[in-house]
Amino acid sequence: MNTPLPNIDLQTVYYALAAVVLPFTAFLVNLFISGKNSKISGWVSTGAILVSAVFAVMVFGRVWNSHAIHAQQLWFTIGQTPVYAGVWLNNLSVLMLLLVTVIALPVHVYSTAYIKTHENNRYFTYLSLFCFSMLALVVVDSLVLLYAFWELVGFSSYLLIGFWFTRDSAVQANKKAFIMNRIGDIGLLTAIIILFSQYHTFDLIQLFGDNGLVVKSIIKNDRWIGPVSQIAATWQYVACIGIFLAVAAKSAQFPLHTWLPDAMEGPTSVSALIHAATMVAAGVFLLGRVYPMFNIQELDALAVIGCFTAFMAATIALTQNDLKRILAYSTISQLGYMIMAMGINAYASSLFHLVTHAFFKCLLFLCSGVIIHEMQHIKEENQLDIDPQNILYMGGLRKKLPITFIACVIGCLALVGLPLTSGYLSKDGILIQSFEWAEGRSTWGYLIPVGIMLTSCLTAFYVARLIFKVFFGKFRLKEILPDVHLHISDGGWQYTLPLIFLSLCSLFPLFSLNPFLYEHAWLYKGFVPSNYLARESIYHTIIPVIINLASVFVAYWAYAVYIQQRKLVFPQTSFLFRLSYNQWYIDAFYRKVIANAAVQLGQVLFWLDRNVVDGLVHLLTKVTGWLSALTAWTDRYIVDGTLHLIAAIASAIGNFFRSFQGGKVQYYLFSMLAVILALFIIKLLI
Amino acid sequence: MITMTHYLVLSAGLFCIGLYVILAKQNAVQILIGIELMLNAAILNLVAFSRFDKLNNSGQTFALFAIVLAAASTAVALAIILNVYRRYRTIDPGKVNQLKD
Repeated sequence: MNTPLPNIDLQTVYYALAAVVLPFTAFLVNLFISGKNSKISGWVSTGAILVSAVFAVMVFGRVWNSHAIHAQQLWFTIGQTPVYAGVWLNNLSVLMLLLVTVIALPVHVYSTAYIKTHENNRYFTYLSLFCFSMLALVVVDSLVLLYAFWELVGFSSYLLIGFWFTRDSAVQANKKAFIMNRIGDIGLLTAIIILFSQYHTFDLIQLFGDNGLVVKSIIKNDRWIGPVSQIAATWQYVACIGIFLAVAAKSAQFPLHTWLPDAMEGPTSVSALIHAATMVAAGVFLLGRVYPMFNIQELDALAVIGCFTAFMAATIALTQNDLKRILAYSTISQLGYMIMAMGINAYASSLFHLVTHAFFKCLLFLCSGVIIHEMQHIKEENQLDIDPQNILYMGGLRKKLPITFIACVIGCLALVGLPLTSGYLSKDGILIQSFEWAEGRSTWGYLIPVGIMLTSCLTAFYVARLIFKVFFGKFRLKEILPDVHLHISDGGWQYTLPLIFLSLCSLFPLFSLNPFLYEHAWLYKGFVPSNYLARESIYHTIIPVIINLASVFVAYWAYAVYIQQRKLVFPQTSFLFRLSYNQWYIDAFYRKVIANAAVQLGQVLFWLDRNVVDGLVHLLTKVTGWLSALTAWTDRYIVDGTLHLIAAIASAIGNFFRSFQGGKVQYYLFSMLAVILALFIIKLLI
Repeated sequence: MITMTHYLVLSAGLFCIGLYVILAKQNAVQILIGIELMLNAAILNLVAFSRFDKLNNSGQTFALFAIVLAAASTAVALAIILNVYRRYRTIDPGKVNQLKD
């Protein structure tokens, strides 16, 4: 940082750092000191997140709607490029900081009771790591750090989803989540590399701040022209697709959404955290950070994908029987809303919905945790072989679990978006803005607001189905097995207190004093420019009325179907039912096409490896063998042969001369005589 | 008349007989006899050639010395043969061949 920060800002930065680092400290303490004692580590983690939340509130109070604070330090230098590490506290990041800590706190408290039955584990260690990763992700100011924490969020969620690692399904689920997220990570990495090669910096403020490098860049004549350099325009699209992939993987958008329903294999408290504030929020947060990247066409694509995801997930949620799976698909659906809101330029509404959704979805998951816990209790007490998450076994639980029932109804109303709840404010904001967005478009543009309206009605139906099946009617397990014993209750304060807290947060007063007009919510003032706030068009009045009437009607219809046992409208064998029940066959498609292709590719590669690569090596071995055999033959018969020949000649000559030395004196004499005679003869002849 | 040539021929004949005996016989004593024959052929030559030195008769003197030395050497040779016989129980020079390699 070139200019020193004023003292007060420096203090704020320290507070923010403390809020981020405290869960990490808890992680280290739990890892090295508390070990696997989950009781101690639970209170360490909870204490850390409590203090962290207090710091987050202080930081929020200082930064929100005041000035953004940016502090950085030189981290390292590659060649000529200095890479800085620092924090960037603006409205977006302090909002996320606050949201994550405030959602994580009740989840921690809840977990201390929920996880107690499974003694000796590292649950809280992982949970602290998860919170730390997410908190760090929202405050960092550089793409490198962002990527690092992005990965860390994925990794710690992997640990938590696979928490019950002895179950095969949990292992499969966390593998799936991890692989799906890797696809997104590749996208983000690609985008970071492209951005760096275009702008030569990793700094988020320089890139995406007001009057940042990205804003100043234009696309002209198929060139992407930035203030520093220019490259082909294709790279801009590739970068945007990369970011979209990252967002789709983390925030579970089509086509990378299939990991989220499977991630239900983790403990319910983890699901609550993943679905509310940490994991899936990371995608929307990233989109918020890099928002200036996207041009009009790319935003349209976002809107279409978001809308499609919302609709698809809502149709799937209609027929699922697994309590958590219904909630998971509703999360995907709501995330679709947020992405679509980003796409239609309703930036503030998207983040507003993220915040309200975090509260009521966390609430719903914690409620489902209580229900599942009690069903598990019944199952173990009576030694039944049932799935504790199946809503077909439930019913009439409102008398047994009154607090959970009320909390769950509040959460569901917020999810549907009925008045007096926070969901009403944020959801109607998105709906109204989608209509205003479509006004300036062709007829096709109206598909998006209409689709999103339809999704709202579907939401009302599946939520009503959930409530009626779980809390109303008769307890169906009792109907099947009349002698079943029921000793269930809402549980201790660790259960009820988070539920009450989150229920209060899901109501309207936290966000707007006027329960009917979303435009009055204080959150909008933090994000300029917040469009569509003026109540100039008719949509601002008519949409909320229509959508609420439709929702109430649909909910009543569901009541008629499920409680009064009227005839089902859709037979359970129709194509649409099967499409929804089998989750649009997307998983099956992936398994058949992509996984099979990957496996077959693997087999082909294995064959290649076995036969071609190994074959080459074997051929080489053989050739070498032959060569050495040849060399050995040459050595033995030619090199050694020559030597042996010479030796044999020498030996023959020696033997010849030795034969004269026979030890017979007369023979010697005869030799001498012969030699002398020969000499004489030679002399005579010459 | 007996000429110088007759002596020389006789001498050569004796020498050849001696040489044959040395080479062919398988008895050390016979070989010794062969040696004596050859020696005497040489001495015969000395005596024959002394005709050219009538003043000092040096040839005959030399012959006398040679005869004496021959007697001495024969004595030594017989002693050796006796020893050989004791050691090898044979005096066939073909069988005394331990010097071979």
